Amino acid sequence: MLGYTITQWLFGILSFLAIMFALMVVFTRNPINSVLYLVLTFFCIAGHYLLLNAQFLAVVHIVVYAGAIMVLFLFVIMLMNLNQDTEPQKTVISKVVAAIAGGLLLFVMVGALRGSEQLQIKQYGHSDIGLVKNLGNVLFHDFLFPFEIASVLLLAAMVGAIMIGKKEIK
Amino acid sequence: MKGLFIISGLGILAMLAEIFKFKKILYPLVLVGILAAYAMTFVDWNPPTDHLSRLDELTASFSNMIRFDQVALAFSGVILVTAFFWFILASHYFENETNITDHFALVLFALVGALMLTSFSNMTTLFLGVEILSIPMYVLAASRKKDIASNEAGFKYLIMGSFASGFLLFGIALVYGATGTFDLGGISHYISNSHGDVPAFFYAGVIMMLIALCFKVSAAPFHFWAPDVYEGSPTVITALMSTVVKTAAFAALMRLFNVGFHHIGDVWGQIMAVVIGLSLVISNITAASQQSVKRMLAYSSISHAAFMLMGVLANKNGFDSISSILYYSLAYSVGSIASFTVLYNVSKDNNGHIEAFNGLSKRNPFLAVCMVVALLSLAGIPVTAGFFAKYFIFTTLIGTPYKWLLGVAVVTSAIGAYYYFKVLIAMYFKPAISTEPVKVEMSHTVLLIITTLFTLAIGIVPGYIIGIFK
Repeated sequence: MLGYTITQWLFGILSFLAIMFALMVVFTRNPINSVLYLVLTFFCIAGHYLLLNAQFLAVVHIVVYAGAIMVLFLFVIMLMNLNQDTEPQKTVISKVVAAIAGGLLLFVMVGALRGSEQLQIKQYGHSDIGLVKNLGNVLFHDFLFPFEIASVLLLAAMVGAIMIGKKEIK
Repeated sequence: MKGLFIISGLGILAMLAEIFKFKKILYPLVLVGILAAYAMTFVDWNPPTDHLSRLDELTASFSNMIRFDQVALAFSGVILVTAFFWFILASHYFENETNITDHFALVLFALVGALMLTSFSNMTTLFLGVEILSIPMYVLAASRKKDIASNEAGFKYLIMGSFASGFLLFGIALVYGATGTFDLGGISHYISNSHGDVPAFFYAGVIMMLIALCFKVSAAPFHFWAPDVYEGSPTVITALMSTVVKTAAFAALMRLFNVGFHHIGDVWGQIMAVVIGLSLVISNITAASQQSVKRMLAYSSISHAAFMLMGVLANKNGFDSISSILYYSLAYSVGSIASFTVLYNVSKDNNGHIEAFNGLSKRNPFLAVCMVVALLSLAGIPVTAGFFAKYFIFTTLIGTPYKWLLGVAVVTSAIGAYYYFKVLIAMYFKPAISTEPVKVEMSHTVLLIITTLFTLAIGIVPGYIIGIFK
């Protein structure tokens, strides 16, 4: 079709949808809609993972992000009754400044990525690179230290969250 | 490496103290543990030849994710010494707060992150180190829950810090896209092999990482969080932020840019030079008009960040710039600990307004003298450590294209001396508000004696630290 392979079509469609949904996350005024659009964005990203042969990552992405974390988001929004269009109005100057700063970042990124389509891909992954077995091998050999030390990070985050959230008991 | 494990274990032990009821002995236990970790830096320093293979084996068993070479050990040493001093300063904080074991655990976990930042050799460990250091700091900044300023500090720090982490990740992703490796040596190898033929987005990635780390060290256009966070947090936590966190972030910045991106120094050098110039001018001019000593120290920490960045900017081969940054961070950390100890004792209630210092020479001459030495060191007046710290940084910058920064630095240092002297004048020439003497407890007296003597000692014989790698 038009000289593109099916993978390239899929990539194009998924990218377009991901960007569209990401923009909708920002533009909708209702927080619930925002979260739902974010879920859709995560699904598109999971599609990208599939295209990159990272099947396990794609599934985990959907289960953890779209499934667990986004549901938590929805719970918090509903419990705290934030589902109204009560976004505070920002001043014109802050909007202009934000637009300039964001636009400059976009400008830099577009400029930096221009011409990168001619680059050669350095390493081709095998087709089974994303399977659990290979992932486990990499995680527990090459990335053993970061994997173990991440437990300290999670522990610190948990202790911190409880410390901030708990009532003071003498 | 052993030090890192000791501190991690200590953090988990601290959490068990509540369950197994050894809260009373936890404080001395932590002090001993930090000293043990410090001793381990000496054990690892000069591995005997048959040991060397074992060290390499250990590094290889972690696939070169983390590497405690001599530079990393030296910076770990500075961080652990500062942390030891800090725990003496913070003894009260751990007595008065509720959930003290959690506070111990969080501070120790932050130390784990700090040690990782001195020794990372892979982008994953860099990112994990930054996060392990930052997340406990967000919580500790907000740890005075009833105080609205502390809440604001924690919230601001969290939002801004997460944003900076986003930039760091984006930068790492772009660099990985160009080089195909997370390894610091691999990235350096890629740059030197490509002879300038690297894709443009690689540079975008480098600059994003620079922005993220400049945020963490609070250099100028990314410094807006620093004064509010420093002022709002409890004073002891501010002391921790401006010493341990800053030293660790600098060790990371230096390792990343002087090892990983060493060969493209002229690309990031220009941007860093502008960052340094802005930091020097903005921080010193704003600090001069501050009425709160705590806020003034926050601005002064921005200017010290600029000085340490100069050492990174020099980007010299060999150990010249590394040892000058090491000396600067040691002198600055010890001076800061001393000045925060005085600040903590002088103004327990009014959040460091300069009037609290009025007539301190009458109310407690000992505190006043220690403050004078600490401030002279921070201002860079001769004989104290701060003078040689600035001197060594200046000498590394000579011979680079950024000599114009020296002019800016000298002029702004003169402005800097003005606000440090404002405190000295308040202490010696302004009448005191009350004649009641300021009480200092024994541990703080000992701490102040040690830090003051230390500041003078390394100012008199700077060679021991400057020549440490030779």
